[in-house]
Parts: sequence; C-alpha cells; structure tokens
Amino acid sequence: MQTTFTPRITIFYCINSFTETSSVFCEIENQAEITFVKLPCSSMVKDVFVLRAFEADADAVIILVCPEGQCRFVEGNIRAKKRTTWVCGLLDDIGLDGRRLSLFNVKSGDEASLEKILDGTLSVLEELGPSPVRRN
Amino acid sequence: MIVGEQKPIAEIKEMVAPYKKLLVLGCGTCVKTCFAGGEDETAVLASAIRLVSRKEGRTIEVEELTVERQCENEFIQEAAEAVGRNDSVLSLACGAGVQAIARRFVTKPVLPGVNTTFIGVLEKQGLFTEECSGCGNCELALFGAVCPVTRCAKKLLNGPCGGSQAGKCEVNPDTDCAWQMIIERLKILGQLDNLRAYVPPKNWNTSTSGGPRKLVREDHII
Amino acid sequence: MKNASISRLEKLLTAGEFVVTAECGPPRGSNRERIIEKGKLLQDVVDALNVTDNQTAIVRMSSIAASIHLLNIGLEPVMQMVTRDRNRIALQSDIMGAYSLGIRNILCLTGDHQSFGSQPDAMNVFDIDSMNLARTVREMRETGQDMSGHELDEAPKMFVGAAANPFADPFEYRVIRLAKKIDAGADFIQTQCVYNLERFREWIKLAREEGLTDRVHILPGVTPLKSAGMANYMNNRVAGMDVPEAVIQRMAGVPKKDAANEGVKICLETIAELREMEGIHGIHIMAIKWEEIVAGIVEGAGLLPRPDLGVS
Repeated sequence: MQTTFTPRITIFYCINSFTETSSVFCEIENQAEITFVKLPCSSMVKDVFVLRAFEADADAVIILVCPEGQCRFVEGNIRAKKRTTWVCGLLDDIGLDGRRLSLFNVKSGDEASLEKILDGTLSVLEELGPSPVRRN
Repeated sequence: MIVGEQKPIAEIKEMVAPYKKLLVLGCGTCVKTCFAGGEDETAVLASAIRLVSRKEGRTIEVEELTVERQCENEFIQEAAEAVGRNDSVLSLACGAGVQAIARRFVTKPVLPGVNTTFIGVLEKQGLFTEECSGCGNCELALFGAVCPVTRCAKKLLNGPCGGSQAGKCEVNPDTDCAWQMIIERLKILGQLDNLRAYVPPKNWNTSTSGGPRKLVREDHII
Repeated sequence: MKNASISRLEKLLTAGEFVVTAECGPPRGSNRERIIEKGKLLQDVVDALNVTDNQTAIVRMSSIAASIHLLNIGLEPVMQMVTRDRNRIALQSDIMGAYSLGIRNILCLTGDHQSFGSQPDAMNVFDIDSMNLARTVREMRETGQDMSGHELDEAPKMFVGAAANPFADPFEYRVIRLAKKIDAGADFIQTQCVYNLERFREWIKLAREEGLTDRVHILPGVTPLKSAGMANYMNNRVAGMDVPEAVIQRMAGVPKKDAANEGVKICLETIAELREMEGIHGIHIMAIKWEEIVAGIVEGAGLLPRPDLGVS
C-alpha cells in the first residue's frame, strides 16, 4: 500500500504483549514514519496522550493491546478499549475523524496480524489524507 | 456531590472563539469525581481546544490549571496569576464555581465548560444518580429515606401515580419508581403505616421558589 | 356523601342510579364547533361528560372553555384538572372561575408527564399532587375558605372526583391510595380502563372489605378496542394499562373488518360483568377518538334511556 504522502503513525503498545523489534515495522519504514510509545499496561493510555500525539502531528494512532482475557492486570485492555471508543467520538467532534485512532488486540509475535493492521491503517490514511492539524 | 457533564466541543469551540489566550480551569472536588472537570478532563479539553482551533485555522494559546475548589476564595486565589496571564477563563467547575471565579476576577470573561446537572450519588463507577433537589425542607424521615420530590417525576407526596408498573417509572423505563422504593423500604422498616398518612402540600418557599437562598452561621463570622 | 353541590351527577348517584359518563377531548385549536359536535353525539346518552385537560400533555383548548361550550348545549361537564400545569394559585383561581361559569363537577388529576406530549421541553409544575387538589376543592366547599384560610365571598361547591388505577403497581398499595383519595375528599372515582376483570374484581373486593365502596361512588372505565393493534399498543405503550393476552388474542382472532365490532362486544360484556359487582355505581366510557360509538354502547348495554331529573 503506497500513500500519496508519508504518513506519521504513533503506536502505543503494552510491553506485556509486544516488542517494537518486529520485522513488520522494518518493512514499512519506507512507507511511514512510526513513533513508538511503550506502556507498562495498555490501561495507561490516557485520553490526553492520544490527543497530544495528534497535537504532535500524527496522522493516525494505533493502540496495540493483548487479547481480551489475557491482560496481566486483568482488565487493562478492556479499559483501554472503552477509552479508545470515547476518544474516537471526541476526535469526530473535533473534526479529526475518529477513524484515525484504532485499537487492536494482538498476540506477541503475531506478525501476520500486525502486517494487516498496518496495511489497514495505511489504506485508511490513503482515504483520509494527512491530519488536518498536521503542521508540516 | 454536585454532578456535572462537560459541554460538547462544538459549543465550547464557539464560546472560546473570540479569545487568544485561554485558561482552562479545572476544579478538583465534585466535578473531578464525575469526570467532568478534574485534572485529567482539564488536560483533555485543553488539548481538544488546541486541536480544534488549529483545524479551523485559529490561533489560541491554552493554559491549564486545576485548583482544589472553585467555590472557595482560599483556593481561587491560587489561580490568580494564571488568570492574570490569560484573556479569558473556561471554568470546568459547577455553576457555583463559575460564578465565584467571575466574582473574584471581575474584568475577565469567565465561560462555563460544564453543564451542572444534579446533586447525586456515585451509584457505581461511571454511574451517577440524582437523589436530592436541595428543597431546603427535608422530609426523608417520612419516606423511608427515598426522596419523592427528586426521584418521582411528578413530585408526588401521596403515593405512586397510575403509571408505576413492575417497579419502573412511566416516564422512563430505566428509572426505578420512587414510590415502589419507598414502599419496599417502609416494609423493611415496619413503617408501612406511613403510607396512610396524609402528606400536605409542600412549602416550596424554602426551595428556589423563595428566591436565592443564603445560609448564615453567625458563630463562624468574625 | 352529602348533597353539598347542585351537580346533576351527584344527584343521580345519591339517588342510587347506575350512571353513565363518557370522555371527550377538546380540539387542538379554538373551533368550538368541534367540541359541540362531539357533545351532540352524546346528548341524552350520558349523564355527564368528562372534558380532558390537555390530555397526554398535548396542548388543546382549555378544559374550562370546552366544558362551558358543552354546558351551553345542555350537557353536564366533568371538568378534568391536572396539577402538571398550574400551581396552587392558578388551580384555586380556575376552580372558582369554573364554578362561577356553572361547572359543578371536577376530576382531580396529577396529569400525564409532559415528556409524553407535544411540548416535552416545558417546565412542569406539580406544586401539589392530585390528592391535595381533591382536598383543596373539598375544603373550599366545606369551609368556604381557600388554601390560605381566606374567607371566600362565595365558595365553589364542586362535586369532587378522583382517578384510580387498579392495574398499576404496587397492587397492595392501590387500595390504600383509594382510601387516601376518599379521605382527601373524593366523592366519586373514575378508574383506568378495565380489561383485566379478574384484577379489577380483586381490587373492588379489597375496597369493599375496607368499607370504601360505601364512602365513594366508583365508576370503572371502559374503552372499546378498535383493532388488535390498538389492544397491543394499549398494553405495551400506555403507562398503567393492563390488557390481558386473552383479550388481545380475541381481537386478533377476527377478520380486520370485524375487529371494531368485536371490540364493542368485549366492551359490552365488560360492562355487564361490572354491573354485577357490588360497589359499582356507574360506568365511564372512554371511546378514544371514537365518540360516535358511545351511544351504541350505552344502548347495547341496556342503559337507555338515561334518567331525567330535569335540567339543573
């Protein structure tokens, strides 16, 4: 998937489910600029972190959390999901389009799913274009 | 506690549009507990205002600050410098807080960022229910400590209306019928005879019908 | 139940007649011909005619004005009055005004909540409840004073009615509430539409056991069903209404074109059963948007001609 601009994607991930050394990330390095934010638990993704990522010129934000039922802190990933839904609504209200934010439950090492997620995000961005608040 | 709900971004956006430097001022007591105006919500709203303004090509500087309570001068004072630096204040307190801030900083436009909704209870995380209207003349002893003035849609003092069915209110099937609750509670307390008592018309003079109210405690005034 | 007013309805009930009342909704507008047309359908068919007060919280011609239009053509109105829209000042004032115009019966109600009506954004009043309204009218009549204790130059002497819903919950409280309404001042009671005869029988039995049927005139309400859809709607969507499955099935079991006839049949059977019950002093027919059927029902029930007391 090739977009007409170089998208900036911020990925929040839970260190209990993921590492950023995945080969998938290396592969798309030439298609997108990716910023990683690691968290001790996905429940730590506060609403304001996501908004600040957009303030810092992200075109999309992805939150990667462990599969439901496998959170080390029991319900961290469920909380993250609820909060993400809420922030998507806020992004719509702001006029940024909630589709720029998404959350996925993935297992550590599940490269195939990860590739699909990134591809999906790139095609959403192809449709949406750069963030309307991106400064450069 | 006082329960409130943040106003929609669309409304806030229009309100703050004339200003260049805005202080988003949170309140760390009631509205913090109901996720409307504490530190977290202040940060989110400040960011959202920056984003929406940038999207619409407006420049605005947004500063954020949360004080313990906006309804007390002692805490309001902590905001004085920040208020001075900005040309307007968006208060995330209840309506009382908004007015207290405006009274203290008379030359600043003070805008409400929250709709104050009711005096309520945190039923469980994320669920708040209205329980008190502040009528100034509490009669809960008669009603098994369930308030019909607040919790009955028709403020009935003499029993459930004809629309109470299966314990639910006719106005909203998600709402428990206050009178059903009163009856159940009186049953437990062995006070069902209260139901036969005639409850006369309420004196609303102690409520908002009597005009703005004031509480004076001489023993605390020096 | 003393003869404290000169209501024709009261005279008939006191004389032990089985009375017939019906309901008539004022128009959504100022055309008095509309209410007069409806009234003419019911002349000599009913003893008194209830005039609703912005029922279901939909804005209509006022109950007082519509009552007067009916009075002018010789019908006796039962002016309904709800506490939803008026505080105690307006209520008392309107009662005095209504009496001065010749209205002699009032049905005291709290009223449907405005969220169901045409103006859900309105502020409601509910200063006093229907119980306290009934008491207010009775007190004005008995003491000659208004609620503030002020002596009135002429007290309104209204025959006081109240509503009861034997089908609402909690059931065990329904009779206590009836007793409270009688204590408050109700001379007559009109009930929610009866479809569930079993539950009604249980309610009237409890009322009899408490001696309430000797202290008040109870007029059960009936509403002829027009279709199976209406039966379903009443059961599911109208607050406090109880239409048993058997009735719904019966309506659904006949061809569509015969449904209205079936509804009238059910209504007549209900009236016949109600008349057999001890403590029932009349019948209140609420033919919703179907006033033209009332004459047939009254006739079919063998309740014609209506007793003639001479116009009061």
